[in-house]
Amino acid sequence: MHCENSVALSVIIPISDRYDDLRKLYLQYVEVLATSNYSYELIFVLDGVNVAALENLKGLKSEFPQLEVITTNRKVGEATALAIGFERAQGSTVLTLAPYLQVEPTEICRVLQEFSEGDYDLVISWREPRIDSVFYRLQSWIFHRLTQMLTKLPYHDIGCRLRVLRREVTDEVRLYGDLHRFLPFMAYQRGFKIGEVPVRQSETDKKRRVSQPGVCLKRLLDLLTLFFLFKFTKRPLRFFGLIGSALFCAGGLIAAVTVLLQLLGHETLVGRPFLVMGVLLMVVGVQLFSIGLLGEIIVFTHARKSKDYTVSRILE
Amino acid sequence: MEVNPAISVVIPVFNEQENVRLLYQKIREVCESLRQSYEIIFVDDGSHDRTFDILEEIHSQDAHLKAIRFRKNYGQTAAMAAGFEYARGEVVVSMDGDLQNDPADIPLLLKKMNEGFDIVCGWRKNRQDKFWSRRVPSIAANWLIGKVTGVQIRDNGCSLKAYRASVIKNVTLYGEMHRFIPAMSTLVGARIAEIPVSHHPRRFGKSKYGIGRAWRVALDIATVKTLTGFASRPGLWFGILGMPAFALGLLTIFGAVTALFANLPVSWSVLFTVGSLGMFLGVHLLSIGLVAELGMETGDYLPNRDVRPTVTVLETPGRVIHRQSEVDSGQHAL
Repeated sequence: MHCENSVALSVIIPISDRYDDLRKLYLQYVEVLATSNYSYELIFVLDGVNVAALENLKGLKSEFPQLEVITTNRKVGEATALAIGFERAQGSTVLTLAPYLQVEPTEICRVLQEFSEGDYDLVISWREPRIDSVFYRLQSWIFHRLTQMLTKLPYHDIGCRLRVLRREVTDEVRLYGDLHRFLPFMAYQRGFKIGEVPVRQSETDKKRRVSQPGVCLKRLLDLLTLFFLFKFTKRPLRFFGLIGSALFCAGGLIAAVTVLLQLLGHETLVGRPFLVMGVLLMVVGVQLFSIGLLGEIIVFTHARKSKDYTVSRILE
Repeated sequence: MEVNPAISVVIPVFNEQENVRLLYQKIREVCESLRQSYEIIFVDDGSHDRTFDILEEIHSQDAHLKAIRFRKNYGQTAAMAAGFEYARGEVVVSMDGDLQNDPADIPLLLKKMNEGFDIVCGWRKNRQDKFWSRRVPSIAANWLIGKVTGVQIRDNGCSLKAYRASVIKNVTLYGEMHRFIPAMSTLVGARIAEIPVSHHPRRFGKSKYGIGRAWRVALDIATVKTLTGFASRPGLWFGILGMPAFALGLLTIFGAVTALFANLPVSWSVLFTVGSLGMFLGVHLLSIGLVAELGMETGDYLPNRDVRPTVTVLETPGRVIHRQSEVDSGQHAL
């Protein structure tokens, strides 16, 4: 009855940085998944060399042979680990889960149900209400506000790993590095229909401290990447050209005024540094503009490989 | 086996439920009167209204109508690019989906094309749009595009155009390039003509354009100039900009040194800094040019392959030019 090759649901758990007791976690997940009506496969993707986790997984595998375990020989990041799992997945629906309890396990079924009822391509979950410390919540709120402002998309919790996706999404969206948080944005850009379900946060997921500065910086850089990829992938000059020409104009104005004052004999103390600043701004402006043009050349020469659009139906 | 039609009409539509059926009927009438095989391709750019349902209805009655539906709204350029890619006709005609273009002009475009042109552009001589918000910016933009790119078209923004399929399928369209098709197609050596076409005021629906795109068009012009200007050598293009900057910087530094030794009443340190920045800019532009060459080479757009010029060998009667024979005669002379 339960045939290996015809699973409906592929469950993928990438293990990157933080993880809990994997055996306990596995049993909890399996218990919940059994109550859903899906036939499923479960794939652990271990990111990088992690002896302790690998031993755990080996023990688990000998106990539950139907489980699948993939490891990578170097650290590739959570998103790449997910992508590796997607490649192995056989089900037409893919469920991703965190290697620790982020949400109450019973919520998984609710999200699965929402996915099948709502005709979505991707459903992400949203831990609401948050039970983290005030500081962590504030930090997360700022990050999400920034993301919402830049992308104009209303997702509340892109860090939650509980997601359900249609196979087409995993086939089309190319995840790499640490960009797993941006899955909904990339899916949106490909024209997929996305839903968001509030779920109850698990007690074990509670964070007391704010993230370290290094992590914050990485997030902010990720955000910049997202902003650039999301808005200006096809038009680099729109981004660099606008900033570049603004700087060039500002610099030109400053330089011109300084030179004019000098010629009129108003030699002021600030005159010299201002001239240098003006010229410097002009140079930076030209630089940014030319970087934008370079981007345009690269987009132009690669435009045939990467189509601007996705087609849902063709009548012929 | 299905035979390719002679003419493909490509119409990008976005929320045009009131217009599509009427437009289809008008185009059909014109195409039938041409007595040539045709296909009408609607590209639905992610409409939220009933546009695609209506297209489906028509499609079930008339196989001449084809439709492509985008998952979401990707813009007119993407819609046109999809239509051009899908079109199978030898001649492709594009037009707006809002009934402002008149399908009755299609035969005029085709007639002009038969005179030996690859692209025939419509020119909305009596444009039925608001004067200040639409027509004045358009006149300014077209003038600028003509001046900068050297392709003098009075109405780049008119969607009603006819193209030879072999030409338009080689023109790379991305971003919002549909306004610059004439200029971009000079890359593939297209012969371009322009004829006046009629233009009607909008009957249904709302215009999807506003004036807030002036700076975008200005930046796009810079892009088109770069892409068409360098032809196949971006390094040259950046070099032309970089060399004078470098030379000017060097000159300023000489000036600074002169000022220092001749005790001129100018600040040599400021001149020195400004000169260094100029030289720096020159070096930067030259290196950007080199990276651009690298980008060209690694891309899938290979100018030498894609834009192969048409070579015509004129043979002089009575004299056969043959490389081998020239070498032979050379040996005889020795």
